[in-house]
Amino acid sequence: MYIYRLVFLLVLAIYIFSPNILDWWTSPGNVWYSPFVIWSVLIAIGFWLEWRRDPNEF
Amino acid sequence: MSFSASGLLFASLLYLILLFGIAWVTERNMLPRHWVRHPLVYTLSLGVYAGIWAVYAAIGLAAESGYGFLAYYLGISGAFLLAPVLLNPIMRIGRAYQLTSLADLFAYRYRSQWAGTLVTLCSGGAILSLLSMQIQAVSASASILAPNTSPHLISVMFSLIVVLFAMLFGARRHQEADNHPGLVLAIAFDSLVKLVALLVIGGVILFSVFDGMSGLDTWLAGNTATSLGTMSLSIDDGSWRALMLMSFAGALVLPHMYHMTFSENPSPKALAKASWGLPLYLLLLGIPVPLILWGGQELGVTLNPNFYTIGVAQALESPALTLFMYIAGLSAASGLMIVSTLALAGMVLNHVVLPLRTPKDQGDIYRWLQWVKRLLIAAIILLALLFHETLGKNLDLSILGAISLAGTLQLLPGALGVIYWPEGNRRGLIAGLIAGLVIWLVTLVLPFSHTANLLGWLNAPLVPDYDNWHIFTFVSLTANLSIFTLVSVLSSSSNEETSAAQACSMGALTRPQRRELLANSSADFVRQLAEPLGYDAGKREIARALSQLKLPNVEYRPYQLRRLRDQVEINLSGLLGPSVARDMVKRHLGFKPLARGGTAQDIRYVERAMGDYQNRLTGLAGELDNLRRHYRQTLQNLPIPACSVGEDGEILMWNQAIAELTGITADDVVGAQLRALPDHWHHLLDDFNIGEDLHRYKHRLDLKGRPHWLNLHKAALSGPDHPDGGSIILVEDQTETRLLEDELMHSERLASVGRLAAGVAHEIGNPVTGISSLAQNLRLETDNPEVLETADQIQQQTRRISTILQSLMNFARTGNHSQATLYEPVSIRRCVGESINLLSLSDQGLGIHYINDCPETLLILGDEQRLVQVFVNLLANARDASPEGGYVRVAGKEDGYSAIIEIVDQGSGIPVDQLDHVFEPFYTTKATSKGTGLGLSLVYSIIEEHYGNIQVESPADPATGLGTCMRLKLPAYEPEPENSAIRPNERF
Repeated sequence: MYIYRLVFLLVLAIYIFSPNILDWWTSPGNVWYSPFVIWSVLIAIGFWLEWRRDPNEF
Repeated sequence: MSFSASGLLFASLLYLILLFGIAWVTERNMLPRHWVRHPLVYTLSLGVYAGIWAVYAAIGLAAESGYGFLAYYLGISGAFLLAPVLLNPIMRIGRAYQLTSLADLFAYRYRSQWAGTLVTLCSGGAILSLLSMQIQAVSASASILAPNTSPHLISVMFSLIVVLFAMLFGARRHQEADNHPGLVLAIAFDSLVKLVALLVIGGVILFSVFDGMSGLDTWLAGNTATSLGTMSLSIDDGSWRALMLMSFAGALVLPHMYHMTFSENPSPKALAKASWGLPLYLLLLGIPVPLILWGGQELGVTLNPNFYTIGVAQALESPALTLFMYIAGLSAASGLMIVSTLALAGMVLNHVVLPLRTPKDQGDIYRWLQWVKRLLIAAIILLALLFHETLGKNLDLSILGAISLAGTLQLLPGALGVIYWPEGNRRGLIAGLIAGLVIWLVTLVLPFSHTANLLGWLNAPLVPDYDNWHIFTFVSLTANLSIFTLVSVLSSSSNEETSAAQACSMGALTRPQRRELLANSSADFVRQLAEPLGYDAGKREIARALSQLKLPNVEYRPYQLRRLRDQVEINLSGLLGPSVARDMVKRHLGFKPLARGGTAQDIRYVERAMGDYQNRLTGLAGELDNLRRHYRQTLQNLPIPACSVGEDGEILMWNQAIAELTGITADDVVGAQLRALPDHWHHLLDDFNIGEDLHRYKHRLDLKGRPHWLNLHKAALSGPDHPDGGSIILVEDQTETRLLEDELMHSERLASVGRLAAGVAHEIGNPVTGISSLAQNLRLETDNPEVLETADQIQQQTRRISTILQSLMNFARTGNHSQATLYEPVSIRRCVGESINLLSLSDQGLGIHYINDCPETLLILGDEQRLVQVFVNLLANARDASPEGGYVRVAGKEDGYSAIIEIVDQGSGIPVDQLDHVFEPFYTTKATSKGTGLGLSLVYSIIEEHYGNIQVESPADPATGLGTCMRLKLPAYEPEPENSAIRPNERF
């Protein structure tokens, strides 16, 4: 269960700091689509994790 | 630019008919199956989540709070990126127990019908608001396009059309297929329309309003003074967090999302693809939102920003684009309405209607269920219409969404408890849920629907309004969570609930108990199930479960019957919901009352489930599984027949050796009672299992006409690490040993006969010598020829007696190996020569030719006198069998470490049926005057004393069918070489 606790903590941290993270994404110096670029990087990471996942894993 | 109401209605109808056509074609299997089940279709169908939000409300929220609108997409994206730990476990449970909705999941996990009903009511209340939001969006957008039409009429018409289509879509349930591929494809098409529409309008705005990216950048640079231009996050942290959380929870708790994600899932692989596919889809939906907002501002659209999508298209004066945007909104609204109504109707059916009224006397239960579901679909949409007409139409789209999501958010603690908190129980869940829902109702639903603002009346320091709704969302969730935790910790759970909680926990296996069923066969199941379901439906359900488990048409084995019972419960759960199914199975397919306090675990069931995991176990669990497999294989391959039996006489293990001994395979008996074995085995094993004795020796059992002797051993299985009873039984097959013992006893008997004979021979020898002497005297004392003749005969007979006695004494002397130390190298050629000389002395004038072909070098270690005896006997037999003038040939050769000597005659040979008996004592085919029947026995014994063996081959010449070959094989003697003084370790 350790991994799940770790995931839980991570999710909670991201959730709590999400407004600050979005502030950073949309800071005035950035182009208007920067939140979408960062979001698509996250999706790419998700895709990579899914792609290399052992099919027998839980 | 405006459209006519009839034109819009026609376009709407046309689009919905197209949607239904897609579903219809899919259901008729006219499209390739791999298209329909493709992960892309599944991912797109999950786009139902966005609903009207994607097309209208997101732009409204963007106008208010900049990038804050992303919270609605980012929350659920997070949930999907966490699919392996959040969604996969739920899908596993849902698939294993056929739980088609969140209410089913709660009712199953918390073992409470009330939990299921409460979830249904909560979802129902929340969904009404969401449905009202869709109706409002469609009627408002239609009013914009056809300003002269009454919005009421549009709402009513739209609702009625959706009722019709939802009924057509939803009630098309197949018994065999649990999902609706047509619906999935239609919703995927819906999502595609939404996406294309938004990308098109975004692209049009970017290139025709702003002249591309550089134009947009210039425009943005010129509008930095206003927050609208910069799109910075102007929403406060609280609302953002609330929206994120509600969106995150939406993946699990929104009825339409649960339905599409879990119930309509074609494969776990599709969910894995959707884990990044849905975030990508939502990203694509989100990109055009700022463009539409800025386009609307640039074009000076006067509409509410919620409807900028249509406003921009109108401002661009493109009727086609405007109609496309309207259709996109209609498609989003209708898709969400159809799916959520279907999902909700299923929940209401299983958790409100069926617990109140189980269909007992219905002719066709499936048809009855279908009709009830259709009525429920109509009732739900009409109720939503009523809600919209009375309250919903006065509320903003975003607040309608917020109320709805805040309501379903109350289900999040319970849903997470299903997978992550086995200690949570039904009391905690229900108490927490009621608290949360009451707060939600008092602080959000009533004030915002302008019904009753209790906090305002009480002059509370904080009164709900559009800016602080998120505070009340968090208050309700916190109260819910705290009460759920507190009550769960303080109250106890029932055993049933604990076992369900274990079954739902991450990576847990169900640990069913091994209890005896009332039914003895699957046919009994049909009779028992006929009571609640009717005979036909009962028979159909049992046949379906039997075929799913690949069992024969009639099943008797208790273990398989328990599996069958579980499968029936799972199937009925898909049909009637888990609570009704559980009650029905519990009541009608019951167990026998427990004889004692506890029951044993169903080892076989657990083992099978572990087997299903195969190599999915990793780390310590994987190592333990390897260990388990190792010991299991050890037991299976044990060369001693073994089986283990539960306390109630059920066979738990049956290894390969016992399968070979009994000829009954493990598959046939494991899980069955001992009494199910064939009679002789049943009597033996059952008696022994019940009996007091721990060992039983040499039990005789006749199998296939041959006697078998078995030793049985038993040990109890219970011990400090294993409280369950039962025993392990070993069955040793002693047949071979027993036969050897018999042979030994036979030899022993013969040896004692020999000793007796020797004793008798010795005693008889003296009087016979006397008689012989007297006969000699008689010859000397008379000349009477008759008397002389008699004396001669007496002497002949006494010589014969002496010969017999001599043979007997020789035979009795054999078997004494103590002389072996006195053995010396003996030349076979010399032995044979001496034997031939001896025989020639008593040649009966038959003119037999003896040929001695043995080489001089052939030596063996032995007693020369006794070997001469061997050859005399063998050559005498050969002589007796040979015709006049026949040849008897003795050949010898060295073969490796053995000396092979063959004595071949040309006689009549030995019949096949006598070959086995020639070495038995007193066995002879000669006339009584010629042989005693001890000759070959003696030969056999002497050869054995010399560590050799003897074989008979007859006929020796297959061409003529005549002759006998006696083949002796004795260890050859090799003289030590001259230089043998070297010790072995000095040789190299």
